[in-house]
Amino acid sequence: MATTTSTAARRAAPSRRSTARRPGGERLQPAFLWMVLPAFVLFFVFHTVPVLQGIFYSFTDSPGYGEWNWVGLSNYVALLSDARIGSAYLFTLQFAFVTTILVNALALGLAVGLNGKIKFKNTLRGVYFIPNILAILVVGYVFNYLFSSSIPAIARALGAEGRLSTSILADPQLAWIGIVILAVWQATAFNIIIYLAGLQTVPGELYEAASLDGAGRWRQFRSITFPLIAGFFTINMVLSLKSFLQVFDHIVAMTNGGPGTATESVGLVIYRGGFQGGEYGYQIANAVIFMIVIIVFAIVQLRVLQRNEVSPS
Amino acid sequence: MSATSITVPTSRQGGLGPDGPDLPGRPSRRRRPRDESDEGGRINWWLTVLLMVLALTIVVPLYFTVVTALKTPDQLGGSGFGLPTEVRLQNFADAWTLTNFPRTALNSALITVGAVVLTLLTNSMVAYAIARNMHRRLFKVLFYYFVSALFVPFPILMLPVAKQTAALGLDNQLGLVLLYVVYGLSFNVFIFVAYIHSIPRELEEAAVVDGASTWTVFWRIIFPLLAPMNATVGILTCLWAWNDFLLPLVIVSDPAGATLPLVQYVFQSQFSANYTVAFASYLMAMAPLLLVYVFAQRWVISGVTRGAIK
Amino acid sequence: MAALTALTMLTAAGLAGCSSSSQTELLFFQFKPEAVAFFEQAAADFEAENPDIRVVVDNVPDPETALRTRLVKGDVPDVLTLNANGTFGELASAGIFADFADAPVMQTVTPSYAEVIADLGASAPGAVNGVPFAANASGVLYNEEIFAANGVEVPQTWDELIAAAQTFEAAGITPFYGMLADAWTAQSPLAPLTAQTAPDDFFAARFAGDTTFEQGWEEAALKLAELYEYTQDDPGAFGYQEGTRAFAEGESAMLLLGSYAVPQIRTFEPEFTISSFALPATDDPAETTLVSGVDVVFTIGADTPHREEAMRFIEFLMEPDRVAAYAEEQVAVPCVEGIENDDPALAGVQSYIDEGRIVGFTDHQFIPAVPLTQLLQEYLATGDTREFLVDLDTAWDQVAQRRTWGLGAVQG
Repeated sequence: MATTTSTAARRAAPSRRSTARRPGGERLQPAFLWMVLPAFVLFFVFHTVPVLQGIFYSFTDSPGYGEWNWVGLSNYVALLSDARIGSAYLFTLQFAFVTTILVNALALGLAVGLNGKIKFKNTLRGVYFIPNILAILVVGYVFNYLFSSSIPAIARALGAEGRLSTSILADPQLAWIGIVILAVWQATAFNIIIYLAGLQTVPGELYEAASLDGAGRWRQFRSITFPLIAGFFTINMVLSLKSFLQVFDHIVAMTNGGPGTATESVGLVIYRGGFQGGEYGYQIANAVIFMIVIIVFAIVQLRVLQRNEVSPS
Repeated sequence: MSATSITVPTSRQGGLGPDGPDLPGRPSRRRRPRDESDEGGRINWWLTVLLMVLALTIVVPLYFTVVTALKTPDQLGGSGFGLPTEVRLQNFADAWTLTNFPRTALNSALITVGAVVLTLLTNSMVAYAIARNMHRRLFKVLFYYFVSALFVPFPILMLPVAKQTAALGLDNQLGLVLLYVVYGLSFNVFIFVAYIHSIPRELEEAAVVDGASTWTVFWRIIFPLLAPMNATVGILTCLWAWNDFLLPLVIVSDPAGATLPLVQYVFQSQFSANYTVAFASYLMAMAPLLLVYVFAQRWVISGVTRGAIK
Repeated sequence: MAALTALTMLTAAGLAGCSSSSQTELLFFQFKPEAVAFFEQAAADFEAENPDIRVVVDNVPDPETALRTRLVKGDVPDVLTLNANGTFGELASAGIFADFADAPVMQTVTPSYAEVIADLGASAPGAVNGVPFAANASGVLYNEEIFAANGVEVPQTWDELIAAAQTFEAAGITPFYGMLADAWTAQSPLAPLTAQTAPDDFFAARFAGDTTFEQGWEEAALKLAELYEYTQDDPGAFGYQEGTRAFAEGESAMLLLGSYAVPQIRTFEPEFTISSFALPATDDPAETTLVSGVDVVFTIGADTPHREEAMRFIEFLMEPDRVAAYAEEQVAVPCVEGIENDDPALAGVQSYIDEGRIVGFTDHQFIPAVPLTQLLQEYLATGDTREFLVDLDTAWDQVAQRRTWGLGAVQG
C-alpha cells in the first residue's frame, strides 16, 4: 500500500504515468495556476527576497542598520578562525544527534505501546501529546527551576553527596544533558503522533499471521512494523535533526549558553552576536554556512535512510 | 514505488497496486484506524500500567507548575513538590495585571485564529494544485521550492523581512498573520501533498464529467476530504502562532499589538524576583491552549493520527 | 485636469487640517522591566498636563534586538530609555540619537554622569547623546548586624576586606554569596577591581594594541578569583535569586553587587537594613573609587519630527520630584544635581558620589561581541588565570580584526 510516505516525489513517478493515460490529463487547467500564483508571489516576496538580502549582507560589515561596506569573503574567512563558533558547532551537532536519536527511539517505543491493546487508550494518547502544546520557553523555565532547585533538594534530602546534590546546569560537562532532557520531553509528543499515524497503516492481519507463525514480539516489530513505517521514520529523523540543529529557545530558558560557553548553540551565537552584539554581517555569514550544513545533513540523511527503506531487513 | 507495497502482499491489500488511489471504486479512507471499539482480544494490562507510569514524567512537571503557582514565596524551597499549605490566588491576579492579560491574550488569540483560518483555506489549495500536477516540471519545482525553505535558519531573513513588512505597512498583526500563512507553506504543502496523493481521483473526475470547475472540485470534494489533515495543520499552526516569540518581536511595531509571549518576556526579569507569580503567569499562558486541547482532545488525537503524513 | 488639481489640493488641505488638530503621538521606547509601572504613570501624568501630546509606552522585551529591528525599519522611536552601556555607545556613535550638549535640561545634570554618557560614544566630537536619569552604585552590600556581631569594621583596604572575609568564614558565616549561575553577577566585582588595579589609560592602549589583558588585568583577575574563594560551596549552582534571598535571610555577610539589587533583596525582607561600601582593590584607601554606571538614560531619535514635544517630555521626566521619586523607588542614585537619595543602602557610598570619585563600568568599554561574561564564568569555575587572560586577548583581537566600524574598529 502506497500510503507511505517519505516524500511525495517518490509517489509522483507512478502517478505521472497514470495521469498521462487519462484523457484531459495533458492540458493544464488554468485554475491550478491561479491556485499557486498568489502563494508563489507572497512566498517569493516575504521569504526568498529576504533570504537573498540576508545572504547579500553576509558579504558586508553591516551592523544590521544604516551604512555598510562591502567586505567580500572576509566574514567567512574570519569564521574559520573563531574558536567560539567552532565550539558552538560541535555542541550543536552533539546535542542534535543525541536528541534526535533519543526522541525517535522513545517516540517509536511509546507509539507502539499506545497502539497496543491497552486500557484508557485515548486518555493516555491525550496525556502524551500535552508537552507538544506548551511553549518551549515556558517549559524551559519550569525545568530550569526543577534542575537547579528541586532535584538537588531531593538529592540532599536523600543524603546524596556530590554531583546530584547540586544543579547539573551549573556543570560545564553536564549542563547539556539538562537541555537534552527538556528537548526530549517536549519533542517526543509530536513524533509519537506521526508514528501513531504510521502504525495505523499497518494491517492487523499481518500480526495475526505472524503470531501464527510463531514470531515473537520483537521479531514482529523488526520484520513487519518497522519496515512498514520506515517512511515515517525517515520523515521524523529528518525533521527532528533539522529542528534540533536550530536549537535556541531551550538554551535561552535553561542555561543561556553557560556555564561559560559550554552550551552555546549556533543559533544562540548568531542571535547574540548578530542582533544583540552588533556583528550582523559576520553572524549572517555564520548563518549562511549553518544553512548549508543543515541542508547537507538533510540530504545525507534522506539518502541513507531511504536506501534502508527500500530494502528492509 | 514505495517499500510498503512490495512487502505487503496481503489479502486485504490484494486489489491495490502501488498506486492504490487509481483503482476504481476505492473509498478514500481505505483502512479505518483501529479504534478501541473494533479491537478484539484481551487488554494488555502490563503495557497499560507501564504507559501510565511513564506518563508521570509528563504529569509531574505540570503538577509542579500548578502547586508552585499557588504558593506564597516563603513556602518555596526544598523540593517544591509539596502541596501549598496556604493557597495564594493573588499570584494569578498579579500576573493578570502585570501582563495586561485580557488585551495581550486577545491579541494572541486574534492572530492565532487569523493564521489558522487563512492557512487552512490557502495552503491546502496550493498543495492540491501541486499534488495534482506533480508530473509537470513547473509544479515539481514549486514543491521543492516551498519545502526547501524548511532548512533555512530564521536569522538569515529576520531583519530583511522586518524591513520589508514595515515598508509595505504590514508591521502589524495583519502582517504577522500573513507571515504565518506564507511561512507555514513549507511544512504544510509537504504534508498536504503527501495526503492528497492518497485521495482517489475518480471522485474528481466524476465531478468534472458533471461539469464542475476545478475550483468547485476543490471546495466541494477535496477540501472536505482533507478534514483530518486540516486538523493536523490547524493544530500545528495554532501552537506555532500562539507560542511564537521572535516573529512578533521583530514584525509588530505598535506596542498595542504585543502578544502574550512578548509581554511575558518583558516581565521575566521582574518575575525572577518572584517565582510564584512567574509560575502563575506560565500557567496562564499555557491555560488557553490546554483548555482548547481538553475540549478538542479526542478530535485532535484521532484527526492527527489519521491525517498525519499519509 | 483642473478638477483633479482641485481635488488633490482639497485632500492635501484636509489632511493637513486633520494632523494639526489632532494630538502629537510620541512613541516611548522603555527598556527597564522593573520600572514599567513608574514610566506608565509618568506618561499618564504628562499627558494630563499636555493634552496635545499622547505618549505610547512600549515596554520592549529584548531591547537590543527590538531597537535594532526598529532601526532597520527606519522607525526610530521618538523618546527612549536605555541602559548606558556599550550598545548605547555604539548607537550614539552611529548618529542615531539627538545631541543634548546645548539642551537646557543638561544644566541640571551632575557633570560626572554627563561625562560617563559622553565617554561611551557620541555622534560628533563634543556631543552628548543622552540625558542621564538614574545611576547605580556598584560595590559591596553588607549586613550591618552580622558585621557588628563579629566586631568587623567596614574594610578600607583590600587586606581588610580579605581579613573580614576570613573572620566570617571562621565564624561559620558565608562571607560572599556566589551567584555564578547568573554569569553577569561576576562582572559586578570585576568592575572596581579592574578600575583600581589596571593602568588609567588601559582601554585606549588596548584599542591601540599597545597592551594586553595579560599585562593589564592580571592583578584584577587574581583578586577576583581570591574573592570567590570566600563563597559558599559550589557558587556556580546558585543564581541571583538564591543569592539575594540568602543575603536577606542573613546567611551571608556580604554580596558583591550594586544598589540595583536592593529592591530585590527587600522583596524577601522589607525591614532589613542593607548597607554598602565601595570595594577597595588596593591597600591605599585614597585609590578606592566607586563604580557607578548610568542605569537609565533618556534620549531622542535624531530624526524624529516631534523633537520639541519629545524634549518637553524629557524635561518633564527630569523634574526634581520625579527624579527623586524614581531614585527612592528603585534605590538609584539621581543624576540631577542637588538631589540626594537618603536610602540607608546608599549612605556608605554617598561621599564618593558627592566627591565625584566615580568610574563607569569596565565592561561598557568592551566590544559587545567579546564574550567577557562567559569567559569570566568559565574562569571562576576553573581558576586558570592565564587561560582566562589569553582567551580574552584572543577574543578581543579576533573581534577587532574583523571589525571595520564602531567600538574597536580598525582605524586606518
